[in-house]
Amino acid sequence: MIPALEFSQIEGGYEPGLPILRGASLSVMPGEIVALLGPNGAGKSTLVKAAAGLVPIWSGRVTLGGRDITATPAHRMVREGLGFVPQTENVFANLSVLENLLLAAALVPKARRGTIDAIFTLFPDLARQRKLAAGRLSGGQRQMVAVARALIASPAVLMLDEPSAGLSPKLVGLVFERLQAVRATGVTILLVEQNVKAALAIADRAAVLVEGRERLVGRAADLADDKRLAHLYLGGGLEEA
Amino acid sequence: MELAPLLSYIAFFLVFAGIFAVMALGLNLQWGFCGLFNVGVAGFVAIGAYSSALLTGPPEPERFGGFGLPILLGWIGAMLASGVAAFIVGVAALRLREDYLAITTFGIAVVIQLVALNAQTITGGPFGVQSIPRPFFELLGSGLAWNLAYLGLVATVLALTWWALERLVASPWGRVLRAIREDEQAAASLGKRAAAFRLQSFVLGCMLMGLGGALYAHFVGYIAPEDFLPILTFQIWAMLIVGGSGNNLGAVAGALIVWAIWSVSGGLLREVMPQAEQARGAALQVVLIGVLISAILVARPRGLFGERARVSRHADGHDG
Amino acid sequence: MLQLVADGLIVGSVIALGAVGLTLTYSILRFANFGQGEFMTWGAYLAVSALTFVLAMTGGGVMQPIEPFSFGWQLLVALIIAAVLTALLALLLDWLLFRRLRHGNAITLVIASFGAALALRNLLQFFYGTLPEYYSREIQISLRLVPRDVMGGLRITPDQLLVIALTGVVVVGLHLLLTRTTLGRAMRATAMNPALARVAGVDVDAVVRATWVIGAMLAAVAGVFAGIVGQIRPMLGFDLLLPLFAAAILGGVGSVWGAVLGGFIVGLAESFSVPIFGAEYRAATAFLVLIAILLLRPTGLFGEKR
Repeated sequence: MIPALEFSQIEGGYEPGLPILRGASLSVMPGEIVALLGPNGAGKSTLVKAAAGLVPIWSGRVTLGGRDITATPAHRMVREGLGFVPQTENVFANLSVLENLLLAAALVPKARRGTIDAIFTLFPDLARQRKLAAGRLSGGQRQMVAVARALIASPAVLMLDEPSAGLSPKLVGLVFERLQAVRATGVTILLVEQNVKAALAIADRAAVLVEGRERLVGRAADLADDKRLAHLYLGGGLEEA
Repeated sequence: MELAPLLSYIAFFLVFAGIFAVMALGLNLQWGFCGLFNVGVAGFVAIGAYSSALLTGPPEPERFGGFGLPILLGWIGAMLASGVAAFIVGVAALRLREDYLAITTFGIAVVIQLVALNAQTITGGPFGVQSIPRPFFELLGSGLAWNLAYLGLVATVLALTWWALERLVASPWGRVLRAIREDEQAAASLGKRAAAFRLQSFVLGCMLMGLGGALYAHFVGYIAPEDFLPILTFQIWAMLIVGGSGNNLGAVAGALIVWAIWSVSGGLLREVMPQAEQARGAALQVVLIGVLISAILVARPRGLFGERARVSRHADGHDG
Repeated sequence: MLQLVADGLIVGSVIALGAVGLTLTYSILRFANFGQGEFMTWGAYLAVSALTFVLAMTGGGVMQPIEPFSFGWQLLVALIIAAVLTALLALLLDWLLFRRLRHGNAITLVIASFGAALALRNLLQFFYGTLPEYYSREIQISLRLVPRDVMGGLRITPDQLLVIALTGVVVVGLHLLLTRTTLGRAMRATAMNPALARVAGVDVDAVVRATWVIGAMLAAVAGVFAGIVGQIRPMLGFDLLLPLFAAAILGGVGSVWGAVLGGFIVGLAESFSVPIFGAEYRAATAFLVLIAILLLRPTGLFGEKR
């Protein structure tokens, strides 16, 4: 089976000479929810940004459904079928909810365009607020808009960077529940998260990134009980657990 | 070729280069050391020139000034006047972000030029100020000897300015200044003190521009509003860009180089263009210089002697 | 007093159009373009050349005015040609200069635009000389719209009325572009967050080019309008630069309606300053407006905090 998204030995970083990713590899299979975990500075955000074309990749490959997208410019990713929800500033605050969606929809070919109605079915709260400027929404609702904006382009794979950041536990539960509904529509999800518990609760598999490389990969259920997970977060190595 | 006219030309050239160097040093203090973007250089030069001219010149009917004071007092007055003007502008504008500071200082220069042109009873209007006294005139008359003497004067002033600035920049005051330029956080944590430092840097820089204006006025003996157009601002900026900002050598070297390019291109165009087309030739000269500056900005943003490109106070950072 | 209002609206129209172009490039390209004034001047002069060309192509002779205006359809064609050429000029300038400086220090772009403006102004003088030009030698009779005993009365020429009206049309058209079309939404999105725009699929380079084109075309139209109600001279754009900045900042950088309102406010302020300070100092009024807004409310009337 061809991975929906695959990273092969990715090395890269923002500044030449300052590598953040040091040979990271990861496969995400179609229909999976994969959680990308790891301590601060490990490079989790950087990895998904590299896939999105926002961070330079020095060596290695990223493929989407078997197609090499390593050199694809950032603005072409939606056409390829890769969606990305950044952690902060992830909606156009000066555009209304509806305009955020209309813009995103217009940027993919007609066949791939989701409908506003389908989006509003998935996110009923947003329907009521469609005319409001996205910047005026609460944190949780903004997060919904951010995900909706990515979804309306009908991505095959959706990457999210810490969607739980800044949200109350109840809202986190809500967002993650919506993500499961999204997966049920056939979208593959790669989830970067600091909230290990919540992420592992909905993920099928998980990978732990430490210092730019994947260190521990396995089924989410297994990892939840694995003592080595905590150890990696605290700065130890795999062997010492 | 006769020696005297050649020497005279060289002296003339070097006097102007030196005057521009003083102005460039002032701008360097503001931009190179403090990151302040002053697009109103011509305005502060004008204030200095007019102040000195009006203080030291002979009285003129229906026009303010003409106090006949000694030239040295005129120069000090020039520095004070531009310093005060800089203080007023600085207090209002320095806390603005850099592009707003640019627009504001540009506006200042436009208004100053407007006043110079229209306030006939103060500035002589379009006729300007004439008969500005020249130092040593009674002793040396006009001609090569006087040009050389004035060159010595300008060189002395330049050397003193250089020395003072080098001492200043190496001092604790200078170190704080660099810290403010390099590190936005440091600037924020210093709070009000950072604002005070920026103001001091701005005022000092403008005082040097005023001094340059005074040096110019007393060399040429006659000033008018069209001596202080935006092109002067651009010339000084060009000198700083070519020479490289952040150090004083760059400012002075830039002044020399850009003035040389300007003079040579001007001379060449005068030779090449027929008499009737002189105005068009002058326009073409500006275009060529503008193109040259743009090319340097693109190809070697650091200039010839400059330090590493400074971090903008509003640089767009990366996420995470 | 009514006359002052009318004069203010006429000047305000030109300032408003120029300021709208300026505010768009300012918010999307993220730098204060000192060259916007020169785009106006070039637009006005290119229309002069285009008019000569169109007249020559259509059998020569003098432009027959369409009553009651001072110009004929040939000027409208010339305007379109000039707008296109000015847009090309802006794209050329971006390609030669601004595009290569975008990665670096933000303020370098401003310095470069100042220098480019100087070069453009002088290039224009090189080609066209320094004498003023006119689109038409027709003398316009101003219409008395309001009798003298009502607030001082009002006289206005058909040309001036047309300029005000057309400015409104252009601005409404631009508003529709920005709010109803994908390009418009993409432009507004890029102004807000270029990185997110890329992620959403916006070709930011294309948006940049579109912004230059729209900004330059607006400037060219403004320049031609200035030439219709006044004279065409090399300093046309430079003299409007300060009012343009004042209007854009007053309105809030990035806001089209803000720039329009700002333009009319600056125009009215200039007009009303004439009986107080004299006509020579009207340019200083724009500066006073600028200082006032920067001291009181730097984000402008409709601007967002950045």
